[in-house]
Amino acid sequence: MKFCYDGRAMRILVVEDERKLAEMIARGLKAERYAVDLAETGDAGLAMAETYNYDLIILDLMLPGLSGQEILRRIRAENGQVPVLILTAQAATASKVANFEAGADDYLTKPFAFAELLVRIKALLRRGPVSQRSVVRVADLEVDRLAQHVRRGGRRINLTPKEYSLIEYLATQPGRVFSRTMIVEHVWDQSFEGLTNIVDVYVRHLREKIDADCPQKLIHTIRGVGYCLSEEPRA
Amino acid sequence: MNIRSIRFRLTAWYASVLAAIFVLLGALFFIPLRRSIEGIMLETEARRARQIGNFITGPFSPSAHSGLAETIERFYAPERNSRFIRITRQDGTVLYLSGAPEDQTFAPAAVPVAEHWPARSAARRQALGSGPALLLAAFRAPAPGGGSYLVEVGTSSLSVDRMLSRLGLLFALALPVVLVVVAGGGYLLIRRALRPVDLMTGKAELISHHNLDERLPVAPSGDELERLAEALNRMLGRLQDTLSNSKRFLADASHELRTPLTVVRGELENLAQDPRLAPDLADRVGSLLEEAERLSKIVERLFALSRLDAGEAQSEWVRFDLAGLAAGTADQMGLLAEDKRISLTCEAEAPVPVEGDRARLKQVVVNLLDNAIKYTPEGGSIRLRVSALDGQAVLQVSDTGIGIPPEALPHIFERFYRVDQSRSRQPDGAGLGLAIIKSICKAHGGEIGVESAVGRGSTFRVRLPLAA
Repeated sequence: MKFCYDGRAMRILVVEDERKLAEMIARGLKAERYAVDLAETGDAGLAMAETYNYDLIILDLMLPGLSGQEILRRIRAENGQVPVLILTAQAATASKVANFEAGADDYLTKPFAFAELLVRIKALLRRGPVSQRSVVRVADLEVDRLAQHVRRGGRRINLTPKEYSLIEYLATQPGRVFSRTMIVEHVWDQSFEGLTNIVDVYVRHLREKIDADCPQKLIHTIRGVGYCLSEEPRA
Repeated sequence: MNIRSIRFRLTAWYASVLAAIFVLLGALFFIPLRRSIEGIMLETEARRARQIGNFITGPFSPSAHSGLAETIERFYAPERNSRFIRITRQDGTVLYLSGAPEDQTFAPAAVPVAEHWPARSAARRQALGSGPALLLAAFRAPAPGGGSYLVEVGTSSLSVDRMLSRLGLLFALALPVVLVVVAGGGYLLIRRALRPVDLMTGKAELISHHNLDERLPVAPSGDELERLAEALNRMLGRLQDTLSNSKRFLADASHELRTPLTVVRGELENLAQDPRLAPDLADRVGSLLEEAERLSKIVERLFALSRLDAGEAQSEWVRFDLAGLAAGTADQMGLLAEDKRISLTCEAEAPVPVEGDRARLKQVVVNLLDNAIKYTPEGGSIRLRVSALDGQAVLQVSDTGIGIPPEALPHIFERFYRVDQSRSRQPDGAGLGLAIIKSICKAHGGEIGVESAVGRGSTFRVRLPLAA
């Protein structure tokens, strides 16, 4: 179980009318040891949000009954502090701006990779006193985020700025799979969306520098999903 | 002046018809006029001839015609009045012939004698060489002692000629003036009548798929042009409906596909990472995921296109340096080119200020460079150039790639168009990249063009308005 400061499990409300999507999200989140409640309509979602003090709300915008915007507005009008992650099929910039103004904390456009949803959720929940470690260790690999150094087996590895951003991003959650789209958007920017082969090229260069001379490979490819940095070999 | 315009052609027709009518009317006017004036003059001459005839045969006739000349001189003064008088006896003897007139309009001696004597009286127009003709009236008077005299009285046609030629000159001078006035007036009238056409043309030029809700101006004149404008407006309405239906369809379709795609991807991702999955099955799940990824990409791009169609790019406009953006992007993509041993050079030193959606224009540079890298074989070269030319920002990407066949060139910016099957094997290409680039350029008031030679390479050129 993931626990909050007061020792209870982190509880997430998912307001989503598409049952299959809601169940998939719930299953994935439960596997990550969150407690999850589902609401299929806007009215039910609002009622639940008002009854229980959730740690995070995942809110679809298009809902039967109350719309996602309306729920967001009412939640913000009442307590205001709970992080809200919006799920929507609309990627238009204008509505993005409108949602942030209405108090959304983050915004994810369908279709999204579940891995990305998890990263966003963690980022939202981590807001607060939990500090990120400045040095991440995966086996004998060391990523020093303060000095922006990478060492393997104590030996310093020279990386270009982009290569460093890439390994640092993978190192934020060792063992977690990052999709190419997530990597592109994080390491490059939105203008590179669709240009996922740039990720493959950089990962290959990174492997030559980090993994080539060592028997234990740390950068793994999960076909169709993306890349991950991990001690254990993966399928 | 456009000589093919309706205005010009109508005016020209109008003026030439008018000129023809004028000339025809003149001809129809001048000939009877001359005839009737000469008729009146001949009548006068005939009266005189009768007078003289009656006088010389009457009771007071000068005996043996001794005083004939004197009498005629006294009564008629032919020389001073420019009158021709000749009296001939039947045997051909000329009893009297007036002298040369003071104004020298004719020479009396040169007037030929009448060949046939009229029974009573006659009138004729006697041509005299190159000079003016003589209007001649003849009267046959019976002589008291048997036989008869022929009295011929005439006057020069000079005054009639002069009057008519003056009238003709006036006519000839008036014709161009009248023509100019009439043609000018006609031109203005036609222009006035065609003014709605000008207004409609100007408006029609401004209507594109961005403002199909606008309509042509309708002048409530009740004429054919009003009907034309209304018919065109109804057509615009139908076009607008069709276009908005297809846009809505595009937006709805890409919207509706999103949720099921999310589920498919999520479930497959979950499955792909399940440790219980055998490696060969994991590989197949991975392949499915790649296809799901591709579907997502197509949905994303279709949605991007429908947003661009709706003019959404305008919401995040800033002023920035296109040269700097291009150089930075080329730098970020250098490794991709290097990976294929392609030399990527960037010539973008001087700042080129433009206004627009920075992320979208960067997407243009990224996609053009990505295409160039994709379609350029190993060892080739790519040149990126940004310059300001004739008030335009020009961004040019030239490669030494495989090129585009001439028959494909006009279509490469169309949605879902593929040059050939080998290109369709590109996993990333949904055939929408260039369509998106074009839409972005258009949304920024710019354009994109391409030149290509198969086997030698392609050059894509983007032109955008320079920021002031």
